[in-house]
Amino acid sequence: MNRLQHIRGHIVLTDKYMNMAATLPSPLTTHVLNIAQGVPGANMTIILYLLDPISSVWNLLTTGITNDDGRCPGLIKKESFIAGVYKLRFETGKYWDALGETCFYPYVEVVFTITDPSQKYHVPLILSRFSYSTYRGS
Amino acid sequence: MCSVKGPLTTHVLNTGDGVPAARMALSLHRLDPHMTVWSLVTIGTTNEDGRCPGLITSDAFTPGMYKIRFETGQYWESLGQSSFYPYVEIVFTVSAADQSVHVPLLVSRYSYSTYRGS
Repeated sequence: MNRLQHIRGHIVLTDKYMNMAATLPSPLTTHVLNIAQGVPGANMTIILYLLDPISSVWNLLTTGITNDDGRCPGLIKKESFIAGVYKLRFETGKYWDALGETCFYPYVEVVFTITDPSQKYHVPLILSRFSYSTYRGS
Repeated sequence: MCSVKGPLTTHVLNTGDGVPAARMALSLHRLDPHMTVWSLVTIGTTNEDGRCPGLITSDAFTPGMYKIRFETGQYWESLGQSSFYPYVEIVFTVSAADQSVHVPLLVSRYSYSTYRGS
């Protein structure tokens, strides 16, 4: 193998590792469950914000839509996940509207504090038209 | 003292300890539809039973979007404990047909839930 082929072999290997890094799961996950109908909350828009501690402004990090399982993978990259105050906004009003129903809650915003970004955090939303709950999972 | 229940009530329960959440600060806000800003309506503190009577009068309880902000982080801090949530805001819609709306909060250090009661 000549020197060029040897170097190219190294570059291909690095690309493979970079792809692996890009598919590392998000340290922050969510799951929307529609308990009124006993189904995952699919096609719900969710938005993740991080609070700027100096200006007290919410900075938008990610906009996503839940999949058929009510999940939204790739909310944040591991290297971007720092300690701080985050907000997950769930567009619940729009969700129920698309199902032809009203909802008591036009949207739900869950504000939470991440003290140890090396941990995994799960922030689900269990929802009906007239109630919701959330908990800190892992 | 008015004996008639107000049109909007709340009840905060500390499900971690199985007690009413007493002395929790909270505030009621109404969304101004024209300016899309939140206006403060009332500031209060829950009593020993976790309730906060007199949030709003019937006359002032017009249809629209409201928000109750519960200072849960401060509450847990006063008990010497940390919490996942620095505060909880419940945003809800009131229609003309709504006579009596109950917005309780069941809260622990790592979870909370709410529902629309009457």
